[in-house]
Amino acid sequence: MERHEENPKGVTKADVVVGIPSYNEAATIAYPTQQAALGLKQYFSNMTSAIINCDNNSPDGTQDAFMNADTHGIPKIYISTPKGVRGKGNNFRNLFKKVLDLKAKAIVVVDADLKSITPRWIKNLGEPLFSDFHYVAPLYVRHKYDGTITNNIAYPLSRCLYGRRVRQPIGGDFGFSGTMAEVYMKNNPWNENVSEFGIDIWMTTLAMNEGIPMCQAFMGRPKIHKPKDPGADLGPMFREVVNTIFDLMAAYSDKWMSIKWSKPTAIFGFGLGEIEMPPPVEVNKEGLYKRFQDGFKSNSEIYSTIFSMETSQKLGEIATLDMEHLEIPSPLWAKVLFDFAVSYHRKDMDIHKIIEVLIPLYYGMTLSFVNKTEGMSIQQAEEFIEDLCSVFEQTKPYLVDRWKT
Amino acid sequence: MAKVLIVDDEEHIRILLCQELEDEGYEVALADDGIDIIDRIEKEKPDVVILDIKMAETNGLDVLQEIRNTYYNLPVILCSAYGSYKVDLKSIAADAYVVKSSDLTELKNRIAQALEATVPVKE
Repeated sequence: MERHEENPKGVTKADVVVGIPSYNEAATIAYPTQQAALGLKQYFSNMTSAIINCDNNSPDGTQDAFMNADTHGIPKIYISTPKGVRGKGNNFRNLFKKVLDLKAKAIVVVDADLKSITPRWIKNLGEPLFSDFHYVAPLYVRHKYDGTITNNIAYPLSRCLYGRRVRQPIGGDFGFSGTMAEVYMKNNPWNENVSEFGIDIWMTTLAMNEGIPMCQAFMGRPKIHKPKDPGADLGPMFREVVNTIFDLMAAYSDKWMSIKWSKPTAIFGFGLGEIEMPPPVEVNKEGLYKRFQDGFKSNSEIYSTIFSMETSQKLGEIATLDMEHLEIPSPLWAKVLFDFAVSYHRKDMDIHKIIEVLIPLYYGMTLSFVNKTEGMSIQQAEEFIEDLCSVFEQTKPYLVDRWKT
Repeated sequence: MAKVLIVDDEEHIRILLCQELEDEGYEVALADDGIDIIDRIEKEKPDVVILDIKMAETNGLDVLQEIRNTYYNLPVILCSAYGSYKVDLKSIAADAYVVKSSDLTELKNRIAQALEATVPVKE
């Protein structure tokens, strides 16, 4: 893939790089760019550094907004995919190539729409990379309804499969070493989903499975970014993340089938003092309920080919509940996801169709999560998610049996 | 035989846990606080640590951090009379969190799980 690059200061080497992937982020990218520059100046002043915006040729002026941001002398590089080529993963591919050219030792990536980033985020995501860690995932407080794909799918599945507790496997903000960039460049399971929003779970899953020392870094502040109602249209993100999770299950089946339970992942940056709480996220429960109901009715025949009789019956009963009382028990949700993974693996039908029919159930699970945690504090909801993960771990033998047969 | 190090400032809890876990076939070592925990671990070489949180001299969550700075993979189970510490982000560095109870079934299960957990990833 050809790429367009602007490197006005002619940077040829950088020990530490901050990468900011983007598409149409002209309104927001200046702030994380400025904070990244402050972080590099404050905590990595004895090293060479650069900030790279990896963009998808945004038509809204993202490039200008990035290039005009005041970075206090820290050089900026703009890289873009060719016109018409989109995808967060493609931006990362460009970033991997560039950081290898620059012989970077540490790379920190932050989202272009971040409103809560501080210079300390750059320190906490970057510093462990100079202490033998090669991958750093973020650890921040998010509102209980922010990150529902993470809470109901990515975290429970990655944790029970690979035995690593990485709370934000698709957080979007993380650090990786130059060595890890080489691993990513060499690794083959790269496809169209990874070149889009599947990139985050792909990177985390590879780090979990390639013998890479990894840790989580406390960010101190919550993740505050463009708010998104989990009841609204999912867009392509859900499909790309779930496809990637299921693809990687096949690639690493030898590893995950032998793993029992899970272990905590090392933590960097303890003791940041008082933890700030995130702003509320609104949820359209009616929208979730309608999407679940409509999808369940139109796909019930397909579900009967994916699930056991027992699971189908239980879901059928749940579909009769009214909106305020709709709850999907955690063991049932674990079996639903495991059955979908097996069906995807066996290619029982077109894999795009499999993901498509999972979406209404995901809406149902999201509504169930909202109903169950409505009266809970963020911390209590966090405990609920931990319990959900324990259920996934306990139910894993069911997945192993089904996968083998 | 797996060895369990129990760190708790209440003697009757140490005695109860010690008897129950010995009956389960574990070798047990006892400590009445978390001071010099690293020296203690080096001496006892436990396979799993049961750690109280609210102790007279030390806070178990701080002790947990100290352990994690040196022994990343050593299973540590927080065992507290208070469920409230579970929401402290520091507690996620533990393998498990168990609220103290006269019924030790959950604690025993968690010990078994922690010893059984297999994660072939180097640290």
